[in-house]
Amino acid sequence: MIAALVILLFHLMVYGVFALNLMQFPFDYDQGEGFELVDTILFSQGQFPYRDTNVYPFYSSNYPPLFHVIAAPFVWLFGEAYWYGRLLGTLSAIIAACAIGYAVYRDGGRQRWVAVLSGLAFLASNTVYHIAPLFRQHMTMVMFETLAIVVLANVNEIKDQRRRRRVLFTGLAFVLAAGYTKQLAIATAIAVFVFLFIRQPRRSLVWGVGFALVGGAIFLWMNIATDGQWWLQTITANVNQFIPEQTVGLFRLWFSLHGFLIVPAALYILYELYFSRLSIYAIWFIAGVGVSILSGKWGAGDSYFTTSIAGLCILSGLFAAKTMRREWVNFPINLYTRRIILPLWRVANRLSGVGVLLIPLLYIGYGIATLHMPTQGAVFSTVADVFNIQPNAQNGFYDSAGRIAGGYADIGHLTSQADIDAGWHIVDLVRATDQLVLSEEASFNLIAGKDVITNPTQLLNLAQQGLFDSSALIAMIERQDFGLIIMRAQFYPVDVLQRIAVYYEIVETVPMNGFEYMILAPRSTPLPE
Amino acid sequence: MFSNHFTLTKRLLGLLMLIGGIAGFAAIMAIDLLDVGREGGIGPAQQIALALCVLLAFLGVTLIPLGDDPA
Repeated sequence: MIAALVILLFHLMVYGVFALNLMQFPFDYDQGEGFELVDTILFSQGQFPYRDTNVYPFYSSNYPPLFHVIAAPFVWLFGEAYWYGRLLGTLSAIIAACAIGYAVYRDGGRQRWVAVLSGLAFLASNTVYHIAPLFRQHMTMVMFETLAIVVLANVNEIKDQRRRRRVLFTGLAFVLAAGYTKQLAIATAIAVFVFLFIRQPRRSLVWGVGFALVGGAIFLWMNIATDGQWWLQTITANVNQFIPEQTVGLFRLWFSLHGFLIVPAALYILYELYFSRLSIYAIWFIAGVGVSILSGKWGAGDSYFTTSIAGLCILSGLFAAKTMRREWVNFPINLYTRRIILPLWRVANRLSGVGVLLIPLLYIGYGIATLHMPTQGAVFSTVADVFNIQPNAQNGFYDSAGRIAGGYADIGHLTSQADIDAGWHIVDLVRATDQLVLSEEASFNLIAGKDVITNPTQLLNLAQQGLFDSSALIAMIERQDFGLIIMRAQFYPVDVLQRIAVYYEIVETVPMNGFEYMILAPRSTPLPE
Repeated sequence: MFSNHFTLTKRLLGLLMLIGGIAGFAAIMAIDLLDVGREGGIGPAQQIALALCVLLAFLGVTLIPLGDDPA
């Protein structure tokens, strides 16, 4: 147990170092962070970010509002900055990990060590590590989802009606909060109501109607307040092309990293299915795995697995706790007990002793499978030297995860002073022009005090469905209204990229965070058509 | 079913899963049967969905013999 704890605490230290490093980085680290900041700024000014993208500044958000609303007071207090959004994401993951540990402690027979390992296992996941310290709403959604599940897990066993109603109300409020943080929380909403339906259909229907009325009323109000843009930008625009190979690749990656805990989690679900009662954790995990299939959508990625990772940490923790308590000897008598369990009874009895030794090995195996760490710096270079860990990612970083499919986020490395200097150099270029600047990332314009123009991935989402009229933006490009264009991933719709190529040329390439930022200036003579 | 004391049994849950699996399978197949203009047959996404429907139905069948045990 101690060895497993040491490895997972090392992961926690790496997580803390990465989070602190990112909080000090004043620019976009992951593409899209800046637009989350823009959404937060708009909410802090009492404005919705769901806007008509066919007119200047061609900007809209495609995410629900709650994360940005929570972050908005920081804009009033500290102005426009990235650190508070990253702090919120970091804290969300820690709260989710604490909730996971608490659930395992409460429902797993108060096995303290296993509870701690389960919470740490969540933070050790490469996926959680990649995503939590960003200025993104995903981890806040997972936090609300986890809190909802942990609150509702034993609600049906509460005898006192008033207290049961209070718990139901609190749990469903968390589900609603998750849904209005990110649309993907639909999986948790389904899991909750399936669980309630299995345990008591009447309760599920009554509370389901109330939940739908409240959720629907908020939805309707925002749609009316934004003249239909809420529906267009957050629902319609998110129905993207599905790439099956991406889903398959990301599932392979998910299993290769978390397999040590997925197997016991799956065994625990089978136990509940055939020999006990289905818990909310099992249904939530299955729903989380189900929604992970959507990771094959264009624009989606490994973050879609985070809900399932939270679920598997709880279920594997409950499996481990039951093993540590040597409770696998009490199976209820039914058809499958007679056919499968009883013939294996003698072996099972011996295995229960081995299981106590096996549990720490599972967490050690998991800690090694998910290993990610900088290979530079005071402590990390020594650890890397001792264990011969070679960097395989940007900025001297080792990551056991890697790109085996599209949708994988190539992040996790620490930023350097050279990256910060590069960012300020781009800001100086933006400040040097009197004209507007079209940038794929918002930070340079925000810091330079210029308008943030477009949210490129959202324009591409809309364009792929024929919902973006690019004529006004293209007219500005053809008039060379932009003094500079800054691109990193070239996410703009194809026709916009084609006009940029005709009217602008690359004058400089700035390396930052392992990416090449292309600085384009107007051509003196546009390319011939 | 709508009393305060009703809870789903393993048998009922199994039946619901079996029906859900069969209905889902039929609905996915119907996409190709009804949409006559489509080409390329059953795509990879449909294959994944069909496999999940078969798994759901299979698990449902295995739950039915467990009778009145609470689900």
